[in-house]
Amino acid sequence: MTTPILEIRNLHARIDDREILKGVNLTIPAGEVHAVMGRNGSGKSTLSYVLAGKEDYEVTEGEVLLDGVDLLSMEPYERAAAGLFLAFQYPIEIPGVATMTFLKAAMNGQRKARGEAEMTTPDFMRAVKEAGSALNIDTDMLKRPLNVGFSGGEKKRAEVLQMALLQPKMCILDETDSGLDIDALQVVSKGVNALRSAGRSMLVITHYQRLLNHIVPDVVHVFSDGRIVESGDKSLALQLEAKGYADFDSEPA
Amino acid sequence: MLKPKMPVRLNAVEETLIAQLTSVGDAANAERISVIGLPTRRVEAYHYTDLKMLLKAVPPLASAANSASAPALRVAGAHQLMIANGVLQHSATAPAGVIVGVADGSALSGREDVLVRLNTALAKQSLTLNLEGSVDPVLQIDRRSEGDAAHSASSAKIFVADDASVTILETYSGSDAAHLSNHGSYIAVGKNATLTHITVDLSASGATHFATNEYQIGEGAKVRTLAIHAGASLARTQIFAKFVGEGAHGDFTGLNLVDNGQHLDFTLDVNHAVANTTSQEMFKQIARGRSKAVFQGRIVVSRDAQKTDAKMMMQGLMLSDEAEILSKPELEIYADDVVCGHGSTCGELDADSLFYLMSRGIPKAEAETMLVRGFLEAVLDPIEDAALNEALTAVVDGWLLGAR
Repeated sequence: MTTPILEIRNLHARIDDREILKGVNLTIPAGEVHAVMGRNGSGKSTLSYVLAGKEDYEVTEGEVLLDGVDLLSMEPYERAAAGLFLAFQYPIEIPGVATMTFLKAAMNGQRKARGEAEMTTPDFMRAVKEAGSALNIDTDMLKRPLNVGFSGGEKKRAEVLQMALLQPKMCILDETDSGLDIDALQVVSKGVNALRSAGRSMLVITHYQRLLNHIVPDVVHVFSDGRIVESGDKSLALQLEAKGYADFDSEPA
Repeated sequence: MLKPKMPVRLNAVEETLIAQLTSVGDAANAERISVIGLPTRRVEAYHYTDLKMLLKAVPPLASAANSASAPALRVAGAHQLMIANGVLQHSATAPAGVIVGVADGSALSGREDVLVRLNTALAKQSLTLNLEGSVDPVLQIDRRSEGDAAHSASSAKIFVADDASVTILETYSGSDAAHLSNHGSYIAVGKNATLTHITVDLSASGATHFATNEYQIGEGAKVRTLAIHAGASLARTQIFAKFVGEGAHGDFTGLNLVDNGQHLDFTLDVNHAVANTTSQEMFKQIARGRSKAVFQGRIVVSRDAQKTDAKMMMQGLMLSDEAEILSKPELEIYADDVVCGHGSTCGELDADSLFYLMSRGIPKAEAETMLVRGFLEAVLDPIEDAALNEALTAVVDGWLLGAR
């Protein structure tokens, strides 16, 4: 059996004194797209932050393997270099840092961490232009400070652009559909689908079924009170949409 | 005659200053210090920079410099003029539109301020610059404090003619000794002239640096000033600007890079003395280690200065828990039809921004540097001369890399 890209075993995490993740188990084999659905406050976003290494959360139990390697002992930038990418629900606006400068620092930061040579400026520009045109991103947008004054659609397209450039093994998309109108949703979904490949896995976090019409998952998990309570194929998402989450709340622990 | 209620108990520093002033024949200023002493925190203008407490020693008066340290900052293509220990050194042929001369005494006016008084008492000569037309190269006034630790004063008197356009960079540096340097610049900006004036303190780590920059801004003139502190253990740059002609605009900016053990002070006083002038003041302070950053800014709008538009902002960034960033913005408005405002903010690097950058594979130190650079962009970005901008960016980067 080949090593799964992501393997989460009995993950518990808390912020301050509140336990949010209460024993998450999840295995995503290479090339698969899994969706995690759950109502607001169920801990879905916490899962994405814990995987990316946000300081505010403390892991109290369990382990996470990325392509067989212990993820939790790594710094956030090392996780990125190891192939993890989190597309933020709310991408952070950073005044004074040009988007292009940021992209170059990220790409070369990862290359350096992997012991690869830095990208030359012409190669970098070519890569950005190519990836940008597929997402309707013009170079003017990239000269602006990172995410500052970007519309909701522009922010999410910029996230997908980063994903396309950084070529991660494991993509986590946190509520990528939030703040998007239907046109923007199509552009973003198309960008994400173009990145689906045999060696890359995705975890799509959402509380609407809508996104999953565009990014069709192989497996759907229902998240409730800090753990996965049900898993199934894509029809589970439709079932959730029809009946709501209430049915799953009474599941025994 | 000043008659204080209680006689001041003089400390060794004050005694030394009195002896030095007496030795150069300035009995009036010697007596003044013997009566009122150096300003303490009870003097409003020195509230955050108590000179009596902070000035620990005064080295002997400087003699002529006979050695030169390495240049602190080189800007490609700039025309250099060097003042060492207060004396103008032999300079190369001046570029077109520039007349270089020397005048007796200090260029500063008789302002009621101890640093100005010390400069006028001790500066034997002033570099004079008469600038006309569009002066092509950046003019660099390279002020040095050379040799053993010494107390020196230097001065420059600069006239920017009507319609002229010039960029002046002043740098302060010298040998690695506990110098006490007191620099003055007086710049008169003519009608419709454009001036960019940048001062960068790169004094040795044990030095004390004082500078006073006075500006008289004529009708329709455009002025941008940028003062950078990146050296010394104690520094204070005083900026006194006065709008004397209508339709003029000034951008007064500053960058206080304050490291462990340093106390660095910007004191700004902008006087809109006539109608229809505008100004923007933007000072950024970054402090790390156990240090103190001070900004005092005052905008004065005179009674007849209607339609004045002035906005002052201080932004502080704390990189350690032991750093202090102090800010005292003031508006003093005597006209009734004006738009004036001020603000101060202070904070640490934003944790969410840092996490975002790191989550993309940027190591923590580099992510921090990116955020700090981003914070500073607003003051460095408007410096258009590419070589100059690059040199100033290098000063900032050097500071970011080199913790004391």
